[in-house]
Amino acid sequence: MNPDTERQEMREFLLGTLDRDHKTQFEERILTEPSVYEELLIDEEELIDQYVTGELSAVEREQFESHFLITAERQKNLRFGKLLQKYVNSHVEEPPIPSQSFSFLHTPVRRLASLGLLAAILGAAGIIFIRGFVNRREAASVVQQTTSQVMTVTLQPGSPETQGSTAQSVNLPPRGVEVKLELQLAKPTFSYYKSELFRENKSLKISDEIKIEAKGEQCVVPFTVTGEMLSPGDYQVKLSGVGSGTDEFIDNYSFRVIE
Amino acid sequence: MNKNWSLSQEAFDALLDWLDSDREQAGIKYEQIRSRLIVFFAGRGCINAEDLADETINRVTSKVNEIQKEFDGDPALYFYGVAKWVYTEYLRRKTPQSQSAPIDSARAELEFRCLERCVARLSEEDRALLLKDYGAKGQTQAERRKALADELGITLNALRIRVFRIRTGLKVCIEKCIQDSL
Repeated sequence: MNPDTERQEMREFLLGTLDRDHKTQFEERILTEPSVYEELLIDEEELIDQYVTGELSAVEREQFESHFLITAERQKNLRFGKLLQKYVNSHVEEPPIPSQSFSFLHTPVRRLASLGLLAAILGAAGIIFIRGFVNRREAASVVQQTTSQVMTVTLQPGSPETQGSTAQSVNLPPRGVEVKLELQLAKPTFSYYKSELFRENKSLKISDEIKIEAKGEQCVVPFTVTGEMLSPGDYQVKLSGVGSGTDEFIDNYSFRVIE
Repeated sequence: MNKNWSLSQEAFDALLDWLDSDREQAGIKYEQIRSRLIVFFAGRGCINAEDLADETINRVTSKVNEIQKEFDGDPALYFYGVAKWVYTEYLRRKTPQSQSAPIDSARAELEFRCLERCVARLSEEDRALLLKDYGAKGQTQAERRKALADELGITLNALRIRVFRIRTGLKVCIEKCIQDSL
């Protein structure tokens, strides 16, 4: 069998979508062919990684959660996958794979020469970056005009107590404008997030299955509400990570709408 | 099967003898069959796949002396046949199962500390490979793996197996670390 076809069948088997005839054939092969079973274990891990990093489609996620995750061993493997992602996220600097290709840097003279070269490269990169930044600013003003129906507000985690007396202020949005709240996140440990907007402990809106977005060096969880939902006063957004079966509270984000 | 039947050492020894005349090999084959039976039941959507795999093994074990005389072939196939019966019975008595208990924060912290310790014990090369395999943002797993395989000058499949082995070793190390810390 073509290896790609076989891998696709394994994936369907793991997600519970393989048709009955193929499944029966496959079950027998798993029991009797060691190589098929080993490949299946590798595919299981890859599927888990894809789930953890949010690469699965909504349908596949549902199949993964309802079918794949039914055994204790796989749940344990998922926990390991999440743990590994957390570890990798906390080690931003990736060590290079040992190689002989940079051995010329090991002598002092060459190292000095290399530093000079590096400085030149950084200088050139700086010029390119500044030009790019100016261009982006110009472009952004155009984007701002074309997306004037969306008001973006970036919020930092914390309650009014932890933020001090100055709560984060948001200008009252005009009618018909959507407000995109960008919740800053220290570590993106989940594939999906859940946000809930409160005013005086009353829930106003919940959004599930939100994916993080990169914003420069940071990650944010976007949470869009309608402008009509906000009036002058204090609000709170509760952010949770969506785990398998349970949600894990991450942080609160407080802000004050002012006129 | 008699429901009061329980696995005796004698019956278990007979099962191992049937699987292989070499006791060590027989033990390996036993573990392999059990793992694959779990996959079989999980593939059919059984929540308690581990229990059903054990039930299948117990049934085969209880009749292993008769089976040895009558059945000539790969024992795995015999287990497969019994597993299909066990599955049919499971469907008749199926009851809703509860979700697994969430992990408390102290346990989660311990697991993370153990992971850090175990990663630190990896060779520099394996550690870098693991971080690269998981770490590059904005790429899919397939894109990351392809780039990494090209960089290392190995086939994609060789890379998949290598990463799998590193991770398997890490899991064993973490299990041991947790056991030692409790």
